[in-house]
Amino acid sequence: MSAQVAIIDGPLLETAGAWSVAEAGAIVTFAGVVRPTEDGRPLLALDYEAYEPMATKTLQRIAAKHMDRFGLLGMSVEHSRGRVAVGACSFRLRVAARHRKEALDAMDTFIDELKRDAPIWKRPVFADATSTAETSS
Amino acid sequence: MEMTVLLFGREADVAGRSSVALRIENAQPTCRDVREALGAAEPSLLPLLCRGRLAVNHEFVADDRVLTPDDEVALIGMVSGG
Repeated sequence: MSAQVAIIDGPLLETAGAWSVAEAGAIVTFAGVVRPTEDGRPLLALDYEAYEPMATKTLQRIAAKHMDRFGLLGMSVEHSRGRVAVGACSFRLRVAARHRKEALDAMDTFIDELKRDAPIWKRPVFADATSTAETSS
Repeated sequence: MEMTVLLFGREADVAGRSSVALRIENAQPTCRDVREALGAAEPSLLPLLCRGRLAVNHEFVADDRVLTPDDEVALIGMVSGG
């Protein structure tokens, strides 16, 4: 199975059913959700901007590298674009491997590389103001 | 050579626009030339240019990369996905 990458408009919805990968002994899912505050200020949402097709190409490159480096059996990457309300999911990473350790290690380093190289930005939409400011957290 | 540099995130906010049109005297400019021209055309970006990376045709490149008129050039500052 190859890595699957998708940039999706709006929040990521719950997936229907379990993700099944042949030969997998470990399937790990990470879901990133929008926190209710940013620097102590209440948030309404985050607005995500992605530079396409570079964002998708970068995520595909990072995923392919991790599939090879950790001998993964499958990888699925989904990231939101546009507005995502507090509490909703904006990023979901699923990793399938034969064993737990490589799945967990791959997940950790994948997110590090995404946060360094993927051309995706978020702007907070504060509850107490109409203005927004780009954030790097 | 004439070209347009795309801006995103904080760089777009600071410049107040999503792209900057440049005219560079060199017929075969490098990304280093683009950085210099970008700072001259949009001085508000000067503090951000040192940490920003240039992408050409959707790939990060080094400053000695030579550009052609058909290249798509973007300034990629600090990203914040995930």
